[in-house]
Amino acid sequence: MSFLAPLFFVGLAALAIPVLIHLIQREKKQILRFPSLMFVQRVPYKSTQRRRIHNWLLLLLRLAALTLVVLAFSRPFFSTQEPPIPGTGDREVVVLLDQSYSIGYGDRWERARAAANEVINGLGPTERGSVVLFASGAEIALRSAAGSDRAQLSAAVAAATLSSSATRYAPALKVAGSILAESSLPRREVVLISDFQRGGWRGEEGTRLPEGTTLTPVAITGGAEAANVAVTAASLLRSTFSGQERVAVTAVAVNRSTRSLTGGQLTLEVGGRPLESKPLDVEGGGSTSVAFAPFTVADAYTRGTVRASADALEADNAFNFVVSPSQPVRVVVVDRGGAGSAGLYLTRALAIGDAPRFEVTVRQVDVLSDDDLRRAAVVLINDVAVSAALGRRLARYVEAGGGLFLTLGTRATWAQDVDLLPAALGAPVDRTRGEAARVGALEYGHPVFEPFRAARSGDFSAVRFFGYRAVEPEASAQVLARFDGGSPALLERRFGAGRVLLWSSSLDIAGSDFPLKPVFLPFIHRIVRHLSGYAEPAPWSTVGQVLDASFGDEGSELIGGVMVTPSGRQVSFDEEGSEVFELAEQGFYELRSPSGDGVAAVIASNVDSTESDLTAMDPQELVAAARAGADQARAGGTSQPLPPDVQERSQRLWWYLLLLGIVVLGADTLLSNRLSKS
Amino acid sequence: MSLEGAHSPSAIPGARFMDPVVLARIGNLELVARAVCDGFINGLHKAPYFGASVDFAEHRGYVPGDDVRRMDWRLWARTDRYYIKEYEAETNMNFSVLLDVSKSMDYGSRGVTKLDYARMLTACLTNLVHHQRDRVGFVAFDSEVVEHVPPSAKHMDTILHVLDRLEAGRPGGRMRGPLHRVAEHFGRRGVLVVISDFYEDPEEIVDAVTPLRFRGNDLVVFHVLDPAELEFGFSDAQAFEDLESGEQMPVVPDSMRKEYLSLVNAHIHALQQRFSEVRVDYTVLDTSKPLDHALYRYLGSREKRTRIR
Repeated sequence: MSFLAPLFFVGLAALAIPVLIHLIQREKKQILRFPSLMFVQRVPYKSTQRRRIHNWLLLLLRLAALTLVVLAFSRPFFSTQEPPIPGTGDREVVVLLDQSYSIGYGDRWERARAAANEVINGLGPTERGSVVLFASGAEIALRSAAGSDRAQLSAAVAAATLSSSATRYAPALKVAGSILAESSLPRREVVLISDFQRGGWRGEEGTRLPEGTTLTPVAITGGAEAANVAVTAASLLRSTFSGQERVAVTAVAVNRSTRSLTGGQLTLEVGGRPLESKPLDVEGGGSTSVAFAPFTVADAYTRGTVRASADALEADNAFNFVVSPSQPVRVVVVDRGGAGSAGLYLTRALAIGDAPRFEVTVRQVDVLSDDDLRRAAVVLINDVAVSAALGRRLARYVEAGGGLFLTLGTRATWAQDVDLLPAALGAPVDRTRGEAARVGALEYGHPVFEPFRAARSGDFSAVRFFGYRAVEPEASAQVLARFDGGSPALLERRFGAGRVLLWSSSLDIAGSDFPLKPVFLPFIHRIVRHLSGYAEPAPWSTVGQVLDASFGDEGSELIGGVMVTPSGRQVSFDEEGSEVFELAEQGFYELRSPSGDGVAAVIASNVDSTESDLTAMDPQELVAAARAGADQARAGGTSQPLPPDVQERSQRLWWYLLLLGIVVLGADTLLSNRLSKS
Repeated sequence: MSLEGAHSPSAIPGARFMDPVVLARIGNLELVARAVCDGFINGLHKAPYFGASVDFAEHRGYVPGDDVRRMDWRLWARTDRYYIKEYEAETNMNFSVLLDVSKSMDYGSRGVTKLDYARMLTACLTNLVHHQRDRVGFVAFDSEVVEHVPPSAKHMDTILHVLDRLEAGRPGGRMRGPLHRVAEHFGRRGVLVVISDFYEDPEEIVDAVTPLRFRGNDLVVFHVLDPAELEFGFSDAQAFEDLESGEQMPVVPDSMRKEYLSLVNAHIHALQQRFSEVRVDYTVLDTSKPLDHALYRYLGSREKRTRIR
């Protein structure tokens, strides 16, 4: 007999309660009134005499009742059913074959496939087998084929190729679990053929196999004990030399093996041609960085690759990137012109900066053309009176996705009937007398102020404002900064596809000393970057990354285009087609425009560098985790779980125990009543 | 008046020993007192004063201030010295009973509580004394004075009435307080009877009681105890509750009887010892014994004392 909940035996400690009641409480039942306990109290207390149990029958009844209740709660059961004999019956075998690029190390891939074939050949004619190829995801190559059809299974293994993805065990185990769950065969087996990289297992939950499944790990380790160098990163440093943009590449090479690499070579290829080679010597477990001479970036989407000389694992030797000449952000500063160069500080601030570069055009308010607006990513209206006509043009511009930044000096006006600004303008507030106004509260969560969040990252409170405009925020506006009096300093409003930012003071030295403070330059840059929606184009991506509907520059949308993969496969996206695309191969993806003549975008795809770390884990860790929750007693063999009605029958004893306990309690009540009456 | 043979019950015609339980059923204390005292002779004691009377007592030397009318001129003629002639005074005496009515007195294992018994004893004594035309008074006390009837020849009915209404209500504290307070009121020499169960330290009891003697009072102490207190005849182990404090404690009587009895006897012995030292009559009364018995014991002891003097 065993118990389902043996912890309830702790409840047996409650047996002491009736014993104590019988020893102690009994004497309190009859109380005799006595004139004085003066002499009684002087007689020494004799405890042993007192502890006498008078009603043995009652005590035994109570003890029995308690014991029965505790026994009932501990759920005893008899394992009457003979456990199924392990190792009998047909098997449903799922072969999980690791195809991550790391198994290409040395001859491991051949050995892995051989191991898979061995398992397939071991299948009986009535047994069934499945082949699942996995890396970061899992793909069923052949599902539940009959053992008599081994050739088909072997062909699936033979057709398997190495992928560029990293190893992840959890998806593979889930797929295996789903195949086995549908199987009707009595024995279920999973054979996991992998190099068991530590990086592939993060102790994921929910990767439990069906009960009774045997997980057999086949570790493919050892083999070529050669050096394994991986190029893990490259930094691209842009510079301008005689009007041309140049990029200096510095690559990082890591030796993942314990053996030192000497006499190797690291080559920088640009546009498919080797440009420069450098010797590469890395100690075992060490890393080194190699800087190449700058090269001129003339064309958009220039492809570059840093390649290390051949070693045991080829896939991680190349590191791809794409560089294009940087595109400036076009800014139009609308100024009142004339003698007072109100926009001086703005233009000077925007003249500085490489990433991105700002191309500033200064226009007076009356000569601002539609063409200027069309070309501009951001329009800065610097303390000028805006007519209703201009206001409407600006509203159309913002609605189409443009960015508008307004500063409010004393001269700024806005036509009432144009609903574009985040706030209604009010009267100027003069703070030249007394304490100057300061910026009090900043919305550090906003992209404009996000870089200033950390301590000593720009002190806005040092800026003194001698005047600002009182504004009344619109309902849809967000206040990003306030003056110390609570009046909004910076407001934002989304309008159509664009944004409007309103600075309620001026940006010249007449209204404040802001332009003279160190925070002015990064502030203006953040404003313009935010309004223009500028994002640094990623020079490379990693295999497994997913591209969404729009990436890179304008017009490089997936819809309607054709993606050419590094292996030359063409994937077209029709109008209703999928909006995401997963990078699966290492190399350069090329997105061609719908007309098929031009290249809309090029994406460099690199393998996950963590996969090149071949440190192995203990396969038993994976086995234990996958089988957690399954009956440990059945771990060694394959057995079928008992049907629920049989389980219930074997555990039914607790009902009778509980019933008997209640009957004994009833008898106890009757007896104690009778005793107390007598 | 003589008490010859008074302590020999058979010598008293009509004297009968009635069970206190039977007496308690009578209810009327006056009837009880009469039933018990009928047959006792009036005037069983002498007055404590020497004074003008017919019974010569003694001669004493003249001191200035003495009444010259009481001078024994015959003796002067014979001896040429002045002597005063003294007589036994047969005056009316003050007689007061001081009764403990604390909660512990409200205990009786055989139908009669100690208080009932003390009540009947008081009634009998006052009845006896009243018939001698002496003044009777009464004091009931627990931790304080509960009732006070000053001694008077006319207070017999009042005392019986008060006795009838008496109830043991409050726990008794130390006797010292109420007794000392009462002692101040007994200005005139007389006989004081203290009835209690004396659940206190013997020293403290004597300390509380002796001031009653200070003005020349004769003091008689009755220690009333129930047979259960004297014999401790319980058998079952059970919780005992103190009548006074309400405190409870589990008691196994069989195992502690011996020790208990020795403690009680030691207590009684100590009281006997201490009271005899201070010349106080002390009598233990068992409530299961007839009242007459107690009265004879008392009167007998009084007689002995009178003779000694």
